[in-house]
Amino acid sequence: MTQFFQQLINGISIGSVYALMAVGYSLVYSIMNFSNFAHGGVIMFGAYFGFFFLTLLRFPFPLAFLSAAICSAILALIIERVAYKPLRERKAPFLYFIISAMGASIFLENLVIAIPAIGPTFRTYPEIFNKQPIKIGELAMGKLDIAMFLISAICLIVLIYIIDHTKIGKAIQATSYNIKASALMGVNTDFILVTIFLMGGFLAGIAGVLFGMKYTVYPQIGIITNKSFIAAVFGGLGSLPGAVIGSVLLGIIETFTAGYFSSQYRDLIAFVLLITVLVVRPMGLMGKVTEDKA
Amino acid sequence: MKKKVLALLMVCMMIVSVGLAGCSSKTETAAPAETASPADETVKVGWMGSLTGDQAVWGQCELNTVKMLFEEINGKGGVLGKKLEVIGYDTKGDPQEAVNVAKRLTTQDKVCAILGPNASGNAIPIAPVLEEAKVPDIATVATNPKVTVLDGKVKPYNFRVCFIDPYQGAVAAGYAADILKAKSAAVLYDVGDDYSQGLTEFFEEFFVKKGGTIVAREGFKTGDVDFRPQLSKIKAANPEVIFMPYFFKEVALSANQARELGIDAILMGGDGWPSEQLISMAKDAVEGSFFVNHLDYEDPEVQDFKTRYKAKYGKDVELNGYLVHDAVLMFVDGMTRAGEANGEKIAQALETTDIKGITGRIKISKETHNPEGKDAAILKIVDGKYVFQQKFAAE
Amino acid sequence: MGNEYILGIFTLAGINLMTVLGLSLLTGFTGLFSFGHAGFMAIGGYATALMTLNFHWPFIPSLMVGGLAAALVSAVLGKVTLKLKGDYFCIATLGFGEAVRLILDNVQTFGGARGWPGIPHYTNFWNVLGINIVAIIILANLIHSRHGRNMIAVREEELASQIVGINVFKYKMISLVISAAYAGIAGGMMGHYMTFLQPKMFSLVKSTELTIIVIFGGLGSISGSVLGALVLTSLPEILRAFSSWRLVFYGLAVIFIMISRPEGLMGGYELTPSSMKRLYRNIVSKRSKAVHSAGGDK
Repeated sequence: MTQFFQQLINGISIGSVYALMAVGYSLVYSIMNFSNFAHGGVIMFGAYFGFFFLTLLRFPFPLAFLSAAICSAILALIIERVAYKPLRERKAPFLYFIISAMGASIFLENLVIAIPAIGPTFRTYPEIFNKQPIKIGELAMGKLDIAMFLISAICLIVLIYIIDHTKIGKAIQATSYNIKASALMGVNTDFILVTIFLMGGFLAGIAGVLFGMKYTVYPQIGIITNKSFIAAVFGGLGSLPGAVIGSVLLGIIETFTAGYFSSQYRDLIAFVLLITVLVVRPMGLMGKVTEDKA
Repeated sequence: MKKKVLALLMVCMMIVSVGLAGCSSKTETAAPAETASPADETVKVGWMGSLTGDQAVWGQCELNTVKMLFEEINGKGGVLGKKLEVIGYDTKGDPQEAVNVAKRLTTQDKVCAILGPNASGNAIPIAPVLEEAKVPDIATVATNPKVTVLDGKVKPYNFRVCFIDPYQGAVAAGYAADILKAKSAAVLYDVGDDYSQGLTEFFEEFFVKKGGTIVAREGFKTGDVDFRPQLSKIKAANPEVIFMPYFFKEVALSANQARELGIDAILMGGDGWPSEQLISMAKDAVEGSFFVNHLDYEDPEVQDFKTRYKAKYGKDVELNGYLVHDAVLMFVDGMTRAGEANGEKIAQALETTDIKGITGRIKISKETHNPEGKDAAILKIVDGKYVFQQKFAAE
Repeated sequence: MGNEYILGIFTLAGINLMTVLGLSLLTGFTGLFSFGHAGFMAIGGYATALMTLNFHWPFIPSLMVGGLAAALVSAVLGKVTLKLKGDYFCIATLGFGEAVRLILDNVQTFGGARGWPGIPHYTNFWNVLGINIVAIIILANLIHSRHGRNMIAVREEELASQIVGINVFKYKMISLVISAAYAGIAGGMMGHYMTFLQPKMFSLVKSTELTIIVIFGGLGSISGSVLGALVLTSLPEILRAFSSWRLVFYGLAVIFIMISRPEGLMGGYELTPSSMKRLYRNIVSKRSKAVHSAGGDK
């Protein structure tokens, strides 16, 4: 029984890391209908920003955290301007956006490796929360895990509040429903896009710093963001609550397959489960119902 | 429109440059090296390894080491009066690229020997290329037995300076059973990694042979960062020793997570462990752990090289640096005895190598092209330092 | 002798091209996006090696078996996942590709993650060239047949093509199975070129690279795929001198081509004698060249 609860805690903690990353995919997807594969690169840069603000510039932690998020937001916007805007203007199909995004992600990952001052080595964040876990009986919960869970939760609640209750949020919803019609209704869709990428980048920065604190910083963080992309699809692309639920579920499924079936075939079982869910519910758990053409 | 033209132009340029690369190789073949005057003649030596990708840390250190050593050798007048020049290419850790690189080095750059690669998966597919070009290769940390021997036959142009997986696995298992007196062990390994799978297989085999039991065998996938699900399961199996045959980043993460979950078993590992970063990230978690290594870092023989490297590059040497150092020694010795920079002759000379490297005596066996009887060093982590325990040879 | 290296790159480009041709049918002509074709290559590669090594079959029949094995698996996969749309199908193929790799990593019969060495060196530039020519002829004939036009219709307007009576599922299936067979054959050629197979060779990155080649070359163009495979396989080699910077440039080049020529190098165009003539006329009377819509919707 202890193992069951311990695995549940592990699963939720892994899932909450996925969630913060997955939301970024869903945000962009909800408006632009394509999967922004450069998101992983921005998360990775977020982790490095945070690291260098803390170690080189010796910012206090909250300031470093905020600065990293802001820098990542700007980076996300730059990517949008350079790699997507020209495509948008040509009304290119979504495949081209995906390829451009992949190009950007290859570029970002290898840029970090190639810059001699950063390089391929992994970096360890200075210790902010001590490693001594909180113990409840036999169960262990890392302080950092709890902090990560709380920060993720706060960010996601604020984000969902913005989308549901503010004017800009309404505009985002309208745009995601129909970009042309909302433009006709006087929504500045370009401004909405800028907002979306800034928000996505900001969250990517936060996710990056949290990831870095927990798992160190290295250029291949993108591999893990693939998992969060899967979680986003699982939950239903374009749906924020879907992304969160999909992430936590994926975390728990992964943990339990590793814990109770086979850790060697963990991803295989997780994938089969995922595909089964998609076959039954082709739009993911809470996906936005699109027209026939996705 | 302009942009389109530009893009097309770029493509044309690329195609032309491929063609040109082809032509340039032809001109090179037209002018044989012998016609150059011997005074300014340089000997080209190839190096291959990861300069990008997740193994880039080791690759960059290897190439730096080779460059530094060649500079030093050239400063002392070179080998056989000839200057050495390294031509290093990135393989991204990809076997396909490794074959390309091997072809390029042997047929375009006309090197007389190749140092590296570090990954077994890259060292195996280049064998036919080497055989065709008659250029020997000295692998650094490619520990899969099949790098040099396949189906009982030794590959004529593949050599290495490191010990092999079965040996390392046997040493770790032997040390755990004989010295640490462990009866039960668990293994956590990287399913997608050849090195990790190799060590796991042989550790299990020898540990069971010694009368121990493997109580848990859990895998993860390359790139994973969270091992708590597997570790929670291992914890329930309650082993005395946990064997972690993978690289230091994952070691640091999994060791921290193991301690967080309240696992206090002794951790053991292989030569993927040693790194400054392991200590900086998981100092407390790996305290008291043991691992198998190629050398003792405090060995006086090593100190000189360590300080030279640090002075030149401002970084610490990674493990691969030591091994490529010995690969260079082995090449220089082979070329000296061969009497000329000829791949075939160097390969012959390498077969009878018997030199003293900084990682121990390197006596190449003719049958396997592996260094024979190279002792493994067992190191223990005490107060964040790698403390040498003993040389340990598996029987 | 000095040409060995260049020939090697062209051989690899040819092997990549084989998969890219199949993908071109799937992505370029039918509009499905796959992240799992490295998985089909792996199946084909291992199946072919099994035939030549264990059953001592000759190379070409073994390749056929490899292609067939991949095609069979794809039919099963297609049955389950082809009803999924857009990114959801894409995730299913991604999951499939990773699953194949994971299984091969674990199956010790074929060496697991440590790989399978000692495969005979059968692949050379000439047989790759021959196989590719046959593959191109088959593909070109298919595309210009009624079936090919139906596939393009599915790409352009799935709903509309269903209304006019095209069996959308059937055409998606045909396209997926053929593309998988091509990938399987490519995998077989790869194994017998490298003389070594390792699950690592068929990673997600490989699938991504292949898809990038298709889009780079231009959707709906076979000659674009040929050009794309040639350029993108040799690009990392050309950039070799930049060592650790080369993938940075590779990424930049991909973005640059996409934004400057989003329809890819040859979007919708074919390089045939008649099209060359047209091109010449177009250059004379410039401008009139309408932008060929390559899979253009929205």
